[in-house]
Amino acid sequence: MKVYKEKIDKFSVLNISGRIDINNYSVFEEEVNRLFNDGETNIIINCSGLNYISSSGLRVFLIAQKRSISLNGNLYLCNMQPVIKEIFTISGFTSIFKILDTLEQVLTVSNNKSG
Amino acid sequence: MIDLCMRNNYKEHFIIENRIEELPALAEKIEQLAEHWEFQPDLTMKINLVLEEAVSNIIYYAFDDDEIHKIEISIIKESNILTIEIIDDGIPFDPASQKQPDISLPAEERPVGGLGIFLISKIMNTVKYSRNNNLNILTLTKKI
Repeated sequence: MKVYKEKIDKFSVLNISGRIDINNYSVFEEEVNRLFNDGETNIIINCSGLNYISSSGLRVFLIAQKRSISLNGNLYLCNMQPVIKEIFTISGFTSIFKILDTLEQVLTVSNNKSG
Repeated sequence: MIDLCMRNNYKEHFIIENRIEELPALAEKIEQLAEHWEFQPDLTMKINLVLEEAVSNIIYYAFDDDEIHKIEISIIKESNILTIEIIDDGIPFDPASQKQPDISLPAEERPVGGLGIFLISKIMNTVKYSRNNNLNILTLTKKI
């Protein structure tokens, strides 16, 4: 897994690629926690390079969403490969996350909301 | 590595120890096997997911001693049916009897955890558990 952080407009974007599995999920969890601990509430997790996730990774996503909701934050997921989206669907996660096709869509949607 | 490759029948057998550090190497072997057996990438991902959930569950919960235990994994492809068999000598545990999570709950009410076995049951078509002497035998099948 590789994690690359960047700032786009008001968002902190976490670009993740590779695998999130039982051996490395804690690295992803630390990155997510760091964003919240730094006071970020507008977060995008860009999943374009993510090609594997198991329940240990899904758990981190759920914890992030719980924390975001408790802070009245905005957590968006985007660019999910079809098989990852399928795992989210099976888990009932598509109804508890804001998942958009592209990063541009997230930026457009959030601009429309604030405007 | 045993390789009994016939026209439409494939069989592979792996033995790992009950250590979570064994899982990346297992995943890599499955990747190689999947390439050899010409699986679609999505199927490979799902098979690795199912194995990670099932085997990690055994590693974390099946043993109440500090001994090294062997976990045996067989993967068989017969025409369009993929069968995964996982055998361990841990305490009796039937994953098929576990309570399924309520996936309709909103995020705030969703319990953290409990998805692993649920994912196995959704990805595979059948999940069968049996206990033979001191062995747990988990047999999973999927139409491919």
